Amino acid sequence: MKNLLFVFILFFSLIASAQNKIPNTQLKTLDGNTTNLVDISKENDLIVVSLWATWCVPCKNELDAISEVYSDWQDETNIILYAVSVDDSRTIKRVKPLVNGKGWEFEILFDPNNELKRALGAATVPVTLIIKNGEIVYRHTGYTPGAEDNLYEEIKKHL
Amino acid sequence: MKKIIICFVALAIPFVVLSQETNTQEKTRFKRFLNNLSGSFESNAQWYLDDDKTGDFEEDEHIRANSYLKLDYNFLGNFSIGLQAESYMPEPLLNYDWLYNEKFDLAQYYVNYKTKKLDVTAGYFYEQFGNGLVFRAWEDRALGVNNSIRGGKVRYNPTDFLELTALYGKQRRGLDVSESNVLGINSEFNLRNLLDVDLFDELSLGFSYVNKSEDYGYVNDVVSVPNHVDAYSVRLDLSIKNLYSNIEYVKKSDDLRWKSENKLFDGNALYFNLGYSKKGLGINSTFRRLENMNFYSQREDLNGRINLTNRGTLNYLPALTKQYDYTLANIYLYQAQPGLSVEDYQTVQVKAGEIGYQIDVFYKFKKGSLLGGRYGTKVTANLSYWADLNTKVSDPNGIPYFSSDALTYETDFFKFGEKLFRDFNLEVRKKWSPKLSSIFTYINLYYNADYFKANNKEVDAWIGIAESTYKFGKGKSLRLEAQHLLTDDDSKNWLGGTIEYFHNSNFGIYFNDSYNYEESDVEENSKIHFFNVGGSFTKGATRVALNYGRQRGGLICVGGVCRPVSKNTGITLNLTTSF
Repeated sequence: MKNLLFVFILFFSLIASAQNKIPNTQLKTLDGNTTNLVDISKENDLIVVSLWATWCVPCKNELDAISEVYSDWQDETNIILYAVSVDDSRTIKRVKPLVNGKGWEFEILFDPNNELKRALGAATVPVTLIIKNGEIVYRHTGYTPGAEDNLYEEIKKHL
Repeated sequence: MKKIIICFVALAIPFVVLSQETNTQEKTRFKRFLNNLSGSFESNAQWYLDDDKTGDFEEDEHIRANSYLKLDYNFLGNFSIGLQAESYMPEPLLNYDWLYNEKFDLAQYYVNYKTKKLDVTAGYFYEQFGNGLVFRAWEDRALGVNNSIRGGKVRYNPTDFLELTALYGKQRRGLDVSESNVLGINSEFNLRNLLDVDLFDELSLGFSYVNKSEDYGYVNDVVSVPNHVDAYSVRLDLSIKNLYSNIEYVKKSDDLRWKSENKLFDGNALYFNLGYSKKGLGINSTFRRLENMNFYSQREDLNGRINLTNRGTLNYLPALTKQYDYTLANIYLYQAQPGLSVEDYQTVQVKAGEIGYQIDVFYKFKKGSLLGGRYGTKVTANLSYWADLNTKVSDPNGIPYFSSDALTYETDFFKFGEKLFRDFNLEVRKKWSPKLSSIFTYINLYYNADYFKANNKEVDAWIGIAESTYKFGKGKSLRLEAQHLLTDDDSKNWLGGTIEYFHNSNFGIYFNDSYNYEESDVEENSKIHFFNVGGSFTKGATRVALNYGRQRGGLICVGGVCRPVSKNTGITLNLTTSF
């Protein structure tokens, strides 16, 4: 029990420093190539990354909501959203038809064995990140209706 | 004990650095250290309570928790080290693997070197080959699954058309490792990049080989029990314009079946996926056949009765059915039936595997069309059908008997046997106004409880679910959900519902209930409210959730893999954060 307490204290001493480095775990693209967030953020100053899954209702609600205003966001800020699917082999084949069926315009990436999810310490999805010049400047877990407006306010702060 | 000391030394580093924080230079150094340090902490605790309706909690420890601390540190650009400490004290949550009982341990650690072409890991690691039919090492804390490998792994990408992976080690089993050794080799050839053919959007081949070596222990004079079990996989991924396909064939070499030590059987699997998608329409179909495909790092874990939590599995064989978030849709759940077992009721029955398919359709009615309305309407349909393999049992020594040494079977490759599960479901998402949206779900399912439990019962049920969300603005929203399950079988009809309120994007509360309102033979479910009330607070990477409720006995499934949970009542606290 004492050990546990010790771990707790250490943990709370660490929590003050939020993670801002992006993990360079391997991700798959729709055409079967590999990439990672480090390379992607070198090419784009400001991106939004959303970890989602086909079986996750709040994730789909979030991406549906953003999808409706995405063209406005892009016109105003040039932001690109990378929707990283954490679906494993049970549901990964649903990603492509679902994305097309819903008419989402996001960039789609795959994290099939959840290496990125683990590296980010994300216990649940959705997890939404804003990455500026290679650093995580904003992070939010979960989705509540209307939270896309907050996200857009955050994006505008980092233009 | 040694492990615990190492763990604390590693954990104490930040503290030591912290205490030396005396001048600005060291402050910067400390800051740099913290910049390269990341980690996460998760704790799931439950206080089990006595319940007037369902009885007292009969075990000693009422308060239990599973906690995980993970730390990763990057240095010199390409290196990282990390560890994961796990605590299951005073005891793990109910229905977790007994191997975790009363343990606190440095469960995992690793060193990694990574460049664009080379990725080398020593220590514990995760990996997946292809669809996971021959190999997947992964973690799911909600399921209590951690099948990581302790050993070494090298991934090498010499060019843009080739990826090679080799690994060797022992699989994690509880907080220890298994007695066997695992060797895995995987290769991926991206032929599109190699041949530079524009006709294909994707064209790639994959080959995998997995070997498990485990001493049988004693000499068997009937058959020579192999110390090595091999599995091979070959795959092809194709994508042309709107069409895409994936096919994988797997062969597993001879091994014992559970309950018989005198006859060897091999296994195989076929996976075929074909899809079509364009803007506004997506269709995906999957066929899978599994025969004797259970693959464990230790033979004894084949016994499902003492291994309810998928401990020590080398491959990944999830049920290919639709996964639901709704409570009533999670009562009759199909689990994949990949294994070979022989059961003896009136006549001997060989269960050799499963065969079946799943089809998904995603369609969006355009804005302004008749069914699309002002905002468009999204429709999803899914059909899955699973049967056991059609087997013919024979016994050269006479009448087939389940413990017979000579008992054997034949299967028809594409013939469907007894129907095990069928699910047809339709989901319609409709936005009425900028503030109001709804989701309607219809599910019609068949569940062959007789096959799984041998109680001569089958279940035909249909479920209707309607939910609506209203946005009040400024992040405030209310969600209402109503569910009804209709069946004359098993525990009969259920009524359920949820009310959920979000005050802003950080804070929300909810209440849900499932009530089995008809008298039935299944007394444990009859006329009892299975309810949950709780709230959650989220800020950045931290989430705290508190919950009080009564849990129905059944299955908890994540990604098609399930573990049983017994009925319980209590208060749950979940804390997750990362830094």
